[in-house]
Amino acid sequence: MFRAIIDNLKGLWSLLVGLSITGRFFLSPQRTTHYPRQVDDPECLASYRGPLELVPADDEGRSRCVSCQMCVKACPGHCLTVVKGDQGKAPKTYLYDFTLCCLCAACVESCPAGAIRFSHRVYLVATSREALHLDLLADLKSRAAKEAR
Amino acid sequence: MMDLSIANFAQIIVACLLIIGLMVGNAVVMVYIERKACGFIQRRPGPYEVGPRGTIQAVCDSMKLLGKQIFIPGNVDWLLFFLAPILAFFPVLLLFLPIPFGKFLTGMRVDEGILLILAFSGIGVISNILAGWSSNNKYGLLGAARAVSQAVAYEIPMIMALLSVIFLSGTLNLSEIVERQGSWPWQWNIVCQPLAFFIYLVSLVGETNRAPFDLPEAESELTAGFHTEYSGMGFALFFLSEYANMLLVSFVCATFFLGGYKGPFLDGFWWMFIKAYLIMVFIVWIRWTFPRVRFDQLLNINWKWLLPLSIINLWVTAVVLRFV
Ligand code: SF4
Ligand code: SF4
Repeated sequence: MFRAIIDNLKGLWSLLVGLSITGRFFLSPQRTTHYPRQVDDPECLASYRGPLELVPADDEGRSRCVSCQMCVKACPGHCLTVVKGDQGKAPKTYLYDFTLCCLCAACVESCPAGAIRFSHRVYLVATSREALHLDLLADLKSRAAKEAR
Repeated sequence: MMDLSIANFAQIIVACLLIIGLMVGNAVVMVYIERKACGFIQRRPGPYEVGPRGTIQAVCDSMKLLGKQIFIPGNVDWLLFFLAPILAFFPVLLLFLPIPFGKFLTGMRVDEGILLILAFSGIGVISNILAGWSSNNKYGLLGAARAVSQAVAYEIPMIMALLSVIFLSGTLNLSEIVERQGSWPWQWNIVCQPLAFFIYLVSLVGETNRAPFDLPEAESELTAGFHTEYSGMGFALFFLSEYANMLLVSFVCATFFLGGYKGPFLDGFWWMFIKAYLIMVFIVWIRWTFPRVRFDQLLNINWKWLLPLSIINLWVTAVVLRFV
């Protein structure tokens, strides 16, 4: 009997504690990013896995890729198409189908040259499937051009 | 009770119209407050995009609800199916009549005001049963069964708590109960009846089917309980009456325990509204803090704690009043 009463009083106290916690949260600042008007701090996106991108080897938009096809073989979704170029080892096409990618990182881990990584493009949207068939070499070039500017 | 002259009749009609306005306005405001409070508690802004800071969101939602198709599943009991939302809505209208919003601002001055409210609030439960039964849906039926046992259980401590205040002021007339209290917080009934206030507050949440006691419409178990099959206006009427019920019990609470329309500096209906809305915000706060209880827990709280406590409280009040 007394035990039950004490237990229930403790329970009541815990209810008050709960109320105080939500009350404090009510008054503390919000965590929402109002997306089109605000964007997240890039620091928060450091571990975000967006679509793949090529790691630049230099400032001119060349890639580190040696066209060894390890990533193509490792990929469970068959998203990658790498075609070796005519001179040297550099690829002439590097196509990536983001619609099939499960972001598993098998390609990133298997690459001996460290040529691919996940981008942090959290705001990527597309209105068609084709827009998600990405040409990573072109993407690398445009990023280098932007950097140069 | 009262003479039924033309003037009185006109007064009641005007009061009813004002109350309908109040109910609709209350639902819109409460939806906004509820969603905003829920957002703030979860550290997000709540409705934000429609209108400045999302103020028009609730209006747009209600417009959407009005425009929706009323879908009627097969094998429903037509008459009861349509009767239930109407039965949920209109008695609530009546319940607002005896509430004293100001010294002279009462829809209908009746000596047994609180009896009227307690008696007619039972009709809301009937509408829940009818809704659950007639919609020929297992969730609906389960929700209805829960609604009944919950309403029966929570009505008793609620009445007991009110009864101790009635003992204290010696009248069933709501205006007189307010008149017996003073303008300052230490002259309110909550000071001499804190336990009754607490019991009333808990059973008020149970009575209005609000979380954590929202078992009749527990979304995760019963989809929406007794109003699962209702859409469009049918659902809107249930919704409206739910918020109106909340407002009603808050008004009763303010009248009985918090000095009604009396308040520091200047008495008036604004105090009534401020107090009622503070109570409603508290109910919303509770909803977004506590998880839903299990059904046996719900009934245990009532039969094992609230009921004995309220009876003891009533006894003590009676004894003190008799001998002191
Ligand atoms: S992350 Fe996985 S699925 Fe995507 S391209 Fe790399 S290996 Fe394929
Ligand atoms: S594994 Fe690396 S180096 Fe080999 S083809 Fe893929 S990206 Fe190029």
